[in-house]
Amino acid sequence: MKEYSVVGQRLPKIDAPAKATGEAKYAADLSLPRTLYGKMLRSTLPHARILHIDTSRAERLPGVKCVVTGKDTKGVKFGGWRAFPQLIDQYPLCMDKVRYIGDEVAAVAAVDEETAEEALDLIKVDYEPLQAVFDPDEAMKDGAPLIHEGVERNVCWSRFIDFGNIEEGFAQSDYIREDTFTLPPVTYAPTEPRACLASFDLSGRLTIWTSTQAIYTVQCMLAAALGLREGDVRVIQPYIGGGFGAKFELYPYEVCCSLLSQKTGRPVKMVYTRQEEFSATRTRHPMKIWLKTGFKKDGTLMVRQCKTILDGGAYTAFGPTVTFTAGFFHTLLYRFPHYKYEGYRVFTNKSPSSAMRGIGAVQPYFAGETQLDMVAEDLGIDPIELRLRNARQPNDEIPKLTKVNSCGLSDCLRKAREDTQWQNRKKKLPPGRGIGIACAGQQSGGAFNWFRTRLAFSNVRVRANDDGTVELFTGVSDIGQGSNTVLSQILAEEIGVNFTDVRITAADTGTTPVDIGTWGSRVTLQAGNAVKAAGAELKKHLFPIAAGKLKVESAELESRNGKIYVKNRPQESMAFSEAVMMAQAANKGKPVEATGSYHPEGKGIVSPAYSFVAVTAEVEVDRETGRVKVNKLTAAHDCGQPINPMAVEGQVEGSLHMGLGYALTEQILWDNGEMLNPSFRDYRIPTAMDMPEVKIIEVETYEPEGPFGAKEAGEGCVPPVAPAIANAIYDAVGVRIRDLPITPEKVLKALKEKAT
Amino acid sequence: MQIIRKLPNFEYLEPRTIQEACALLAQHADRARIVAGGTDLIPRIKLREVSPGFLIGLEGIPGLDSITYSEADGLRFGPLVTLASIEASPVVRERFNILYQAVHSMASSQVRNLGTVGGNLCNAAPSADTAPALIAMGAKLKLVAPGTERTIPVEQFFTGPSQTVLKRGEILVEIQIPDSALCNSGVYIKHTIRQAMDLAIVGVAVSVTIQNGICQDARIALGAVAPTPMRALRAEALLRVKSKDDRLFRAAAKEAALECQPITDIRGSAEYRREMVEVLTRRALEQAWDRCLSPGA
Amino acid sequence: MPPNRQIIELKVNGETHFVAVETKKTLLEVLREDLGLTGTKQGCNQGHCSACTVLINGKAVNSCLILAIRIKGKEITTIEGLSDNGQLHPLQEAFVNQGAIQCGFCTPGMILTAKALLDVNPDPSEPEIRKAISGNLCRCTGYVKVVEAIKAAAQNLKGSAR
Repeated sequence: MKEYSVVGQRLPKIDAPAKATGEAKYAADLSLPRTLYGKMLRSTLPHARILHIDTSRAERLPGVKCVVTGKDTKGVKFGGWRAFPQLIDQYPLCMDKVRYIGDEVAAVAAVDEETAEEALDLIKVDYEPLQAVFDPDEAMKDGAPLIHEGVERNVCWSRFIDFGNIEEGFAQSDYIREDTFTLPPVTYAPTEPRACLASFDLSGRLTIWTSTQAIYTVQCMLAAALGLREGDVRVIQPYIGGGFGAKFELYPYEVCCSLLSQKTGRPVKMVYTRQEEFSATRTRHPMKIWLKTGFKKDGTLMVRQCKTILDGGAYTAFGPTVTFTAGFFHTLLYRFPHYKYEGYRVFTNKSPSSAMRGIGAVQPYFAGETQLDMVAEDLGIDPIELRLRNARQPNDEIPKLTKVNSCGLSDCLRKAREDTQWQNRKKKLPPGRGIGIACAGQQSGGAFNWFRTRLAFSNVRVRANDDGTVELFTGVSDIGQGSNTVLSQILAEEIGVNFTDVRITAADTGTTPVDIGTWGSRVTLQAGNAVKAAGAELKKHLFPIAAGKLKVESAELESRNGKIYVKNRPQESMAFSEAVMMAQAANKGKPVEATGSYHPEGKGIVSPAYSFVAVTAEVEVDRETGRVKVNKLTAAHDCGQPINPMAVEGQVEGSLHMGLGYALTEQILWDNGEMLNPSFRDYRIPTAMDMPEVKIIEVETYEPEGPFGAKEAGEGCVPPVAPAIANAIYDAVGVRIRDLPITPEKVLKALKEKAT
Repeated sequence: MQIIRKLPNFEYLEPRTIQEACALLAQHADRARIVAGGTDLIPRIKLREVSPGFLIGLEGIPGLDSITYSEADGLRFGPLVTLASIEASPVVRERFNILYQAVHSMASSQVRNLGTVGGNLCNAAPSADTAPALIAMGAKLKLVAPGTERTIPVEQFFTGPSQTVLKRGEILVEIQIPDSALCNSGVYIKHTIRQAMDLAIVGVAVSVTIQNGICQDARIALGAVAPTPMRALRAEALLRVKSKDDRLFRAAAKEAALECQPITDIRGSAEYRREMVEVLTRRALEQAWDRCLSPGA
Repeated sequence: MPPNRQIIELKVNGETHFVAVETKKTLLEVLREDLGLTGTKQGCNQGHCSACTVLINGKAVNSCLILAIRIKGKEITTIEGLSDNGQLHPLQEAFVNQGAIQCGFCTPGMILTAKALLDVNPDPSEPEIRKAISGNLCRCTGYVKVVEAIKAAAQNLKGSAR
């Protein structure tokens, strides 16, 4: 493999110093002269008709500049799944009814936060309470209240996937089992509560700085909601304190903040409280998964049949994607001929479920990887061996769905087995200790155009300056994963300049080309390819010039570390910056610029490439209290060729942390539509004392679809943690927990039931 | 639905003497609150659980943040002594280690740098960690009101969730922990989901005084399993004048579990809490006993 | 009731400021809104996440829990006060070089908490480091590289102390 000069280096992130010194400005840190403070009034009922809203007292409060309700908006619904108009179902402010506690009803702008709070107290809403439903099974029953008009039985979306013939599959199986798994509501809990600052200029053009992962989709939807054209809306992403999917959709408060600015002629700023960040955003889809599977007695997987009910909450949001991936991920890890999936996403009167890191993956992988261990035990086959026998292989095609190019799953399993000395430890550990394994595979961004954009998913522009710097313009959001750094590395490598010569401008619809955003782990592969293409294009402007000077053909040239030189004769070279100067002169002073695009055309309906990982968990169970301590998590991860291994490790470690919380400590507690624990005290994300020893094993493959062989890194490490821990608990104390989180109470209860 | 808000307007009063503080508190009664570290009070006000028109800070009164120790008087410290100061105090670690254990388990280093033992007690959460530890050591609280003062055992201080015996105008001015001439060891076990930052699902504090292998005194105090921190008196009685005996520990633990009155809330079910009282009381007894019996105790 | 306002003297990062503040303002609000020091972050406003950590007389505290008027005479250090004329403090350097920063929102609080630790315990064990930062919630890093960075900074500081 070629030695790269920039790609593959453990480079510190270019924005790290700004964050370390407090220089980095997040949305809540921004201000403009005469900024007003905005706040949202939210529904206190889970399901109710709005009869009347009286804002008069609020409007008369000194210091209040504007109060808006649904009638002040354009009454235009928004939603990300524009491919299906019936799925666009959220208003910026509720018009006729509220559908969950937290639903947006009114917005105020005042001279300061206290006045805005007081104004909210003075708004009187007359509700007619309606019967509410909080459970998908209840919501689908005859006679259940309809949350959205015309949506029969509250089924927001259904998706079916099948290949082969499951009847045949079961007929051919020697062993069949079926299990049901219950996955809980959890949420993103980013450390930054979101904020936005909206300002209209005198020409009627909106600029909004907002905590978002997807400036372009927000720009489009915001423009439509305000009755403007996209060119009238400029969305700028400041530094953002964590996304994980939380900040990737347009939210009502962004529309309201903009509307208030438009009406008052002043900038308006809104900052979510932590309670709002918990209870009025989105959650991961709770799911009930029924999974039936058939095997030959030698461990060959023949068939999987799955029915999943997804609890969608009050709006569609990004639910259809999850409904699909919840069925897709059962097919990714293992080769088998027969499959049938039915997924139903159902509305309930709670905050909407949407896309969260490990999108539609953590749930099916918990079911599948736990069930696989049960199968292994029943068949008397080692769980790793069972997985190896059926493992996905490179260049496989999954019927009707996708092609998998690089795939290091088998190596992941083998390396995990080696590293944890699986053979020696499994079932031979001291009492109360156990070890478990689980796998996952993750997309490198989606191929499906749910947003119905006419533009390529990733577009970038580069400009080479004659002082040696190269500017990169991309619409991608760096949400902390390091995309600014990684994309700069890709560009530097492709065109042969030093990493320190690249200057990146990102995530401003006013100045950067369209990119569909940071989600689904798409950036390194999809935006990276666009960057690489732009770099290649740029070289086409420069190499002929250099070739002329060095008196060779373009094809004989290479560039690296700021020099263009003849292959194998590096002393025959010129400075990159000199080539730029000459190119400008040769072209009547036209700047040396290039663009690059990437669109996952012809890459199936899922994704161009997949990462794979095997995670092992070593646990210790206290049999008297049920408390589970995780001593070590090992991740053997195939992310192709890592562009920045240090950044990859950070992503893996963070994903393991999120998976750990999902497994053991995180849970939204609902009581008749009210979230009981919207605080960091009662919604428990793991602290530094909860995080076990982590070991990362790199499994190298080369992904032909990705820039320099790279593909998604890290997100795939969220799903396997919970099933690995569940499997480890079974190894330790012989009890199986089929619903998350695995609390001490559940473990203790299971131990007692086992004893009787 | 919890709504967090900006703090409301209030007046901040800084008395220079205890008497002045008591007078102000008596004058404004329910409209005033003492604020020590503020780590419990300030968030509660933001949530409008309480809305005092007056906050009274005691930091202008000399002597309320000192820790003193003598063999005769034991450990005495003021209500403004921070949790961090207790944690760092050598004499607490050496001679009153159970209090160190309790404080060390609380919240975060940041909160411990601000929060006070006095505040933790007066906030009177059933799950307060300092209370069981202090009860287990037979600690007393000195309360001063205009014209009167009294000293009461810690376990008599609480009357219900967030409620204490403090009368109108009465302030906690000192926490007193007697020293023991005999071998005394205490163990505080805090049962939580996470390893940090959590409120106790169950808190068990056990203190035993052993002489020649015989238990002279045993105290078992429980947190988060009753409307107030409580002593398991019947369980304690089983242990006095006895020597180390596993069956005895199990019997005492079982008795403690029967004595508590846990509820089901977002942190755990009543049944689970009761079981944990039994398991953790037994463990605490074993550990506490062993500390006395092992060399160098 | 008209808001009670008084002039208070705040010593922040070695500079003295006179600010007119209302009684009800927290130190976090005054730092961010009155002094423009936005490096200290509001994560939860309840003392549960420690994103708002500042140092007061060298000790790490949650600025969202403190009334600004109660800080007279004490030295406040925010993240902005750590670097010296553009030169990063060894902790800041370690966080940058070890990859301990992702979204960066918890970073100011994390670094200051680490500083408070190393100032009293220059050679902490890993459990001591984890305990010290156990109140600082991070959703990005899993704390792995944060702990490594603090260890690296401790080594660096010890080395330069000789």
